[in-house]
Amino acid sequence: MTGQDPQGLEACYRDCRGELLRFLIARTGDSGEAEEVLQDVWIRLRQVPAGPIANGRAYLYRMAQNLVVDRIREKQRRMQRERAWLDDRTDRAASGAEPVDPSRTAEDTILEREETARLLSALATLPDGARHAFELHKIEGLSHAEVAQRLGISKSGVEKHMAVAMKYLRRALLD
Amino acid sequence: MTVLKDIDVRLLDEALAWRAPLESDDADWDGYTLWLEADPRHREAFDAIALTERIVDDRAEDLRRLRAVEPVAVPRPAWPRRGLMFGAVAAAVALAVGIPAFWPRADTVYATGSGETRKLALGGGIAVELAPSTRLVARYGDPSSLELAQGDAYFVVAHDPGRPLSIKAGDYAVTDIGTTFGVSLSPQSLSVSVAEGAVSVVPQAGDPARVDAGQRLFAAKSTMRVGSIAPTDVGSWRQGRLVYDQVPLAVVVADISRYSGKAVTVDPAVRDRPFSGVLAIGDGKRMLAGLADLTGLPYEAEGGGLRLGAAAGR
Repeated sequence: MTGQDPQGLEACYRDCRGELLRFLIARTGDSGEAEEVLQDVWIRLRQVPAGPIANGRAYLYRMAQNLVVDRIREKQRRMQRERAWLDDRTDRAASGAEPVDPSRTAEDTILEREETARLLSALATLPDGARHAFELHKIEGLSHAEVAQRLGISKSGVEKHMAVAMKYLRRALLD
Repeated sequence: MTVLKDIDVRLLDEALAWRAPLESDDADWDGYTLWLEADPRHREAFDAIALTERIVDDRAEDLRRLRAVEPVAVPRPAWPRRGLMFGAVAAAVALAVGIPAFWPRADTVYATGSGETRKLALGGGIAVELAPSTRLVARYGDPSSLELAQGDAYFVVAHDPGRPLSIKAGDYAVTDIGTTFGVSLSPQSLSVSVAEGAVSVVPQAGDPARVDAGQRLFAAKSTMRVGSIAPTDVGSWRQGRLVYDQVPLAVVVADISRYSGKAVTVDPAVRDRPFSGVLAIGDGKRMLAGLADLTGLPYEAEGGGLRLGAAAGR
């Protein structure tokens, strides 16, 4: 099924709505959330600029999955902000100062910098192959095939390195 | 921060195996849905991987900006440099806001001045000699992740298959490394010569080339050529000689600049002319005269340096 324009994608959506919902329920584990994401997909697909889309169904699935990840990321950032706010509030209460509004955006910059520093630190501890593959792929933006060529290894070797990297980074970033 | 759960590594591997294929247009979304439905821990594992990846993607731009190019007092290379050059990682991140010390280890830079050579043991069975005006960087202080930023280095490596060594040089990487070889990087070219053992040279685009003992690879303008060299001529600068086999004059002149410490240029009309021969280094001051003798070309002082010119009467 191809979607050449928003109308094409809309047709795709109507055809796969049932499957997308089933996928989203499995993906989120929550039928309420699944319905919300599906609605977001419907709203978003109208904003897609016109142009050839090879496989409309796959496109919608990817969009749905990205929206799920957006929510997970937002939840995680909210928890980070709240924890930072609580720590700050505890410190301030101890010293008798006024508590601060948890929605302050300056906190975000600080949290982002902490995240970057953690990432740098975790990268320095990666085994060489994994670190090289990760830097070339994620920081320099090379494809798996290009990384394979650059390192003189096979594509599946690159995928193994990336798996090692992601498992290390998960422990460092999600603690 | 989410609470880090103890997720079975096998489930993480399954999630990772799904991750990349889902990007393509013929992805098996039905199969993926069935996998998710089979066990709630599958979703958990995929969430963890997806979130990790999203954090990396969010921070990738910051990481790129932190890899600063160290200011280096050499002419800018003629090649477009798409590879990253690593200097010390900027400490600006933490200084501004005083966050706890998650310091990444800085790069270690080994450099020689224009009249100086150095012998180093880098650890891990890697011994290297650096020619004058050479910079070798151990990224994050790691001796198995090297970059030759400029100049000439002669390596003797005790082969250890468990610890892969790679040396970045310009747009190339030297990998699969065994034993004794020299790497010479100039702004226009790279040469890799092997005295004992063998190495692979991997370009940014294209197939890797194998260089065995008694061979020299010469790379310029994204072509690679392999010729022969006597093993005793590898790293011949250590014996005070430079040995050339069909090398463009521009490259020879760049080497003379490096060894003499004087800026030497070449007439564009002859810069690509191939040169074969041996130059004695001495104190560096007579190298251009030696080259002029061997090529029959004149030279003269120009600006603050010297210039090798086309033959008179052209």
